[in-house]
Amino acid sequence: MFKINDYTKSREAFLRAEKVIPSGIYGHQGPTEGCYVPVEAFPLFSERAQGSYFWDVDGNRFIDYMCGYGPNILGYNDPDVDAAAAAQRKLEDCVTIPGTKMIEFAELLVDTVHSADWAFFAKNGNDVTTMAVMVSRAYTHRKKIVFFKGYYHGISPWTQKIDYAGVTPEDVSNNIYLDWNDADALARTFDENKGQIAAVIAQPYMHNNFMDNTLPEKDFWQKARKLCTENDTVLIIDDVRAGFRLDLAGSDHYFGFEADLICFCKALANGYNVSALCGKNFLKNAASSLSYTGSYWLSSVPFAAGIACLNKLKALNCPQLLIEKGTRLKEGLIAAAAKYGFDLRVTGVPSLFYLRIADDPSLMLHQEWIAECVKRGVFFTNHHNHFINASLTDEDIAETVAVAEEAFSVVRDRHS
Amino acid sequence: MKDEKTLAFINFYAILGALSELCRLDKGAAALIADKRISVGISVKDGPCGTLLFEKGECRVLQGVGSVNIRLPFSSCAKFNGMIDGTVTPIPSKGFTKISFLTKQFTMLTDMLTRYLRPREEDLADPDFFRISTYLTFYVVSEAISQIGNHDAIGKASASYIVDGTAKLAIGEELGAAVVAKDHCLTTVHAMPDRFFSYMIFEDLALANDLFAGRVNSVACVGMGRIRIGGMISQVDNINRILDRVSLYLA
Repeated sequence: MFKINDYTKSREAFLRAEKVIPSGIYGHQGPTEGCYVPVEAFPLFSERAQGSYFWDVDGNRFIDYMCGYGPNILGYNDPDVDAAAAAQRKLEDCVTIPGTKMIEFAELLVDTVHSADWAFFAKNGNDVTTMAVMVSRAYTHRKKIVFFKGYYHGISPWTQKIDYAGVTPEDVSNNIYLDWNDADALARTFDENKGQIAAVIAQPYMHNNFMDNTLPEKDFWQKARKLCTENDTVLIIDDVRAGFRLDLAGSDHYFGFEADLICFCKALANGYNVSALCGKNFLKNAASSLSYTGSYWLSSVPFAAGIACLNKLKALNCPQLLIEKGTRLKEGLIAAAAKYGFDLRVTGVPSLFYLRIADDPSLMLHQEWIAECVKRGVFFTNHHNHFINASLTDEDIAETVAVAEEAFSVVRDRHS
Repeated sequence: MKDEKTLAFINFYAILGALSELCRLDKGAAALIADKRISVGISVKDGPCGTLLFEKGECRVLQGVGSVNIRLPFSSCAKFNGMIDGTVTPIPSKGFTKISFLTKQFTMLTDMLTRYLRPREEDLADPDFFRISTYLTFYVVSEAISQIGNHDAIGKASASYIVDGTAKLAIGEELGAAVVAKDHCLTTVHAMPDRFFSYMIFEDLALANDLFAGRVNSVACVGMGRIRIGGMISQVDNINRILDRVSLYLA
């Protein structure tokens, strides 16, 4: 029997937070967007992290399958990345003019990412998806952008929906929404909007919430690529979430096509704050033409961390390693579910797997199981894809499967 | 931006529709129509068309306007909305001899409803008044969700993301409603559903009242466990976006 966590201090901290911070914890790392059901099953504030674990303010340890929602790819506090960052911090970080680490990092990305001829740095994924759209519009002098339903490309108004608070109809008036994997609809859309579509933006595969994640159908990307080329439209791959967990050369490379622009963030520097837009030469002048910058965008410490991170990812052949670990976990979880008569679906690429108990379409059963896992120290979320990191051990996977099995037994007892 | 058509549907089904709940909850309201049997048909061009039937202390809302005692036609949604906010005097096309019902009992009922839906602080100190006020507000809000989801342009966008099934909206175990989504069309059923696909449950009447009045933040309440959400959360997430627009229309 695993210990059931107590979250007294987390609750106390939330009550403090709620007084001075909108929502207490806003965004995806909060209990509402994070879909903490019930909220009492989840920790709300962490205190420290190491490798594959974090500890909350009550001292509970969790095997963390969210990895900070992606940035933790090598393990929290990776010694090589931290050493590179510390060495750089002794020299400089945020200074009036940039250091040459920026060049070194751009050179490394251009050498690593298959479709990259240049790299532009910012801080968050949203910074570079927004820049990608602006570059596309600057280059094509067109307005419209094609999205695939279920997308997530950040939090700027253009990425949100017409009914979201603070978004105006004008913010999204040039957005066209198509069903994922529908190459025929994409072709029709190009025909109906001749000379008007600046870009098609998509994640490399559909890793949306509340639904099984869906890989591209055979030849979908090749058809999309061809249509974009024929229509002088920029193809943007938002690899913020999946980047470096499928293929170090980019997820477009993994699926056998070439993006014109590709966006990275999360796993780029193992938690150090940097994002990158990489692109092809023909878009370099358009990128140069933008008025687009930020106070911290050229800071050197994250560049040093990013260089160390990418080099270590290469040395470990990390995507393959993560896919293997994810596959072992997937097989263990499915077997544990089957033992108690549950149909657990694990979709997406195993290095960023999505979980759903298929026995109950309302997902309430799934939420019960996730809650029982979290209460026992395995941090899953209900309706977001998960992330594997390189420091995850076979013992961690075994412990996770044991916790999952106990959680399944509790849910089965409750419903038998 | 408010849309007159959407507002007309809210005014008919949510505001006038709440008269049925008022007569159920408030004995004084029921007494006003205890010995009445009178039907008021309201037909709004490009808007709602239905009948309010007052009978033996109860009020019911019926679809369409058939043979009625009083018929109130409106040439536009704006005119009907004007009647609700008191800037337009309705002219019956039928029922001149029964017009005193409109000027007396009907007006008294709508005044009572207004008092409950726009309560004064001192009235809320009375537990019975507080309870009825919250019940009626819940009725109006839950009905307005469906009307906005079906008629308002942005509300329809939210409804377009709502998967089929029943979302349960409730205040504890005490009071509930079902928002039923079918092909992105919403219908509110004013009863606690036994089976549902998702849920949003407010802790108690006090919290619901604070939320309706904008005194507390719903996201923070989820974090504190005072609002429970679960099941197909995308349903209640999109309903919540419509809920944001309810305050725009009911302000």
